[in-house]
Amino acid sequence: MIEVSHLVKTYTRGDGTPVPALKDISFTIGRGEFVTIRGASGSGKSSLLNILGCLDTPTSGSYRLDGEDVSHYSDERRSHTRNRKIGFVFQSFNLLPRTTAAENVEIPALYTGGAVDRGRALAILGQVGLGDRAEHYVTELSGGEQQRVAIARALMNDPPLLLADEPTGNLDSAAGESVMQLLTDLHREGRTIVLVTHDEGVAAYAEREIMIRDGLVAADRPQPGHAGSGAARRQA
Amino acid sequence: MNIGRTIAMALRTLSRNRLRSFLMMLGVMIGVASLTALASVGEATKQETLRRFKRMLGTFDVVIVNPGGASTRGMPSLTSAPPVLKQGDVEAIAKEVALVKQVAVTQFAFDVDVKYGDKTVSPSIMGVSPNWAEVRGEEVALGEGITAEDNDTMARVVVIGEDLRKALFPAEDPIGKQIRIADVPFQVKGVMAPRGMGPGGASMDYTLAIPVATASRRLFNRDYYTGMLAQLRDPAQADRAIADITALLRERHGIVPPGEDDFTVTSPKAQVARVTDVGSTLSKVMLGVAAIATLIGGVVIMSLMLIAVSERRREIGVRRAVGASRRDILAQFLTEAAVVSFLGGLVGILVGVGGTLVAASLTKLPPAILWSAIGGAALMSIAVGLVFGLQPAWRAANVDPIQALRS
Repeated sequence: MIEVSHLVKTYTRGDGTPVPALKDISFTIGRGEFVTIRGASGSGKSSLLNILGCLDTPTSGSYRLDGEDVSHYSDERRSHTRNRKIGFVFQSFNLLPRTTAAENVEIPALYTGGAVDRGRALAILGQVGLGDRAEHYVTELSGGEQQRVAIARALMNDPPLLLADEPTGNLDSAAGESVMQLLTDLHREGRTIVLVTHDEGVAAYAEREIMIRDGLVAADRPQPGHAGSGAARRQA
Repeated sequence: MNIGRTIAMALRTLSRNRLRSFLMMLGVMIGVASLTALASVGEATKQETLRRFKRMLGTFDVVIVNPGGASTRGMPSLTSAPPVLKQGDVEAIAKEVALVKQVAVTQFAFDVDVKYGDKTVSPSIMGVSPNWAEVRGEEVALGEGITAEDNDTMARVVVIGEDLRKALFPAEDPIGKQIRIADVPFQVKGVMAPRGMGPGGASMDYTLAIPVATASRRLFNRDYYTGMLAQLRDPAQADRAIADITALLRERHGIVPPGEDDFTVTSPKAQVARVTDVGSTLSKVMLGVAAIATLIGGVVIMSLMLIAVSERRREIGVRRAVGASRRDILAQFLTEAAVVSFLGGLVGILVGVGGTLVAASLTKLPPAILWSAIGGAALMSIAVGLVFGLQPAWRAANVDPIQALRS
């Protein structure tokens, strides 16, 4: 699903000095995996997320997403790739204000070129447990509900990859746990999930963990507690 | 994203912030309203002027020949007209200028006493050729008009205008009555149908017509005319007819370069253009005011859009993340600007048309709604939105989604 090799990202400061964010990153994530990318702030994990999300391009190295080398796509093609293949979930939800839950969920469909399927938006809202909140304005929803709307939005165009950036960072623990549960369920349905966090507790829901430190992969290992954590534990 | 959906989205966004949308519409609205009203009032004035000219001249398929060159001003009368247009000229024009169908002549006079009983009035007096009524489209409301026989026999007969009838014969039948023109008795033969106001706003019905031969020989003892109306076979050929008549008269009058014409040949169209030109200085000023209002409207749209772009950075970031390209964002904001400006224009058109109708009912001029001006105003309002929306839209399209989503 994701194949990055020798990824380098260097920013240039105002005075011209180069600032390396990613020095040499290589890994592969298979279809259907649930992976966390973990690292302290300043480790380069945000830069990595931006490249994985096709919001940014690498300085050098390659990024293959779903078999396509997207490293040097134009803005137009990257936008198209984001639209079709990637669903974003943000820490601060990033829903549009003065807009209903259903309208927020529909936004990705606006950019597909096809018709907007209101029925599908409502179905997804039902799937994330918000079937009765579709016509509510986002300001009338709790934080946990808002993040569920955001997840529903990420699923609107049925992308193979979900990219979540600290999805529980702004939630209390109960709401956070239910959001993680939802992501786990989506993973079980076969979706590839890459979750960026600095929180070990959140990382425990995943099968595998990639540690980033100083722009390099510091560790890449199966999540040790996975078998006994999350959904598996509850089902047992 | 397709255009219909972009417009629907723009309308939704605009309806979420009504005050701002209204402010954005205001300038364009005022500009377009004044442009629409201005164009319509201008058109109404022009049409009314044309109507008055038509009433004065009867038809537009003529050219007018007056004595005196370009330096002579004002309506020629017996006292001021140079004695240059003779019967020979009339016959030559009718015979030699192929474009001319027939020539009618007039002999104008003012300040001549006209008496009936104990009433004395001083209407304009026209000696006219028998074909004058036909060329001018003059109609007789009562009795009969001037005939060829009247002219040949220099008959002392008169056809009076409606206003003169009211003045002299308020309660009796004027036909067959005798009036005295410069102390010469004339028999009233007919009454002309009313023509209404002329280009200057004065009534054209305070007048009387007598045979031109009678006027020339019996009344004024003159062998020249104060005006000719040459009716054309093809009104579209007025310019050529003017040139032909000018050449012929110069030759007949023995004028060689650099000598100036001692006569003036014009077409009604040229006269109308001269009159409507007078009003155009005012309309140019008002046009400038309207243009400035529209321009200010555009600048307001631009600045409010720029504010909106910085307030909506997060929205832009979200849209970019879920798949909107730079072009989609550019189109979205450009469409918003064009839609708000167009709506402003639409309201402006309604206000302008309403204002025109009100003005028309106040001035009693029939309203003229100029559809081309309305279409132009609508297009202009869209163009204003596109032009002034471009910079904000460009800025929106270049918002860095990474920065916008982080904030």
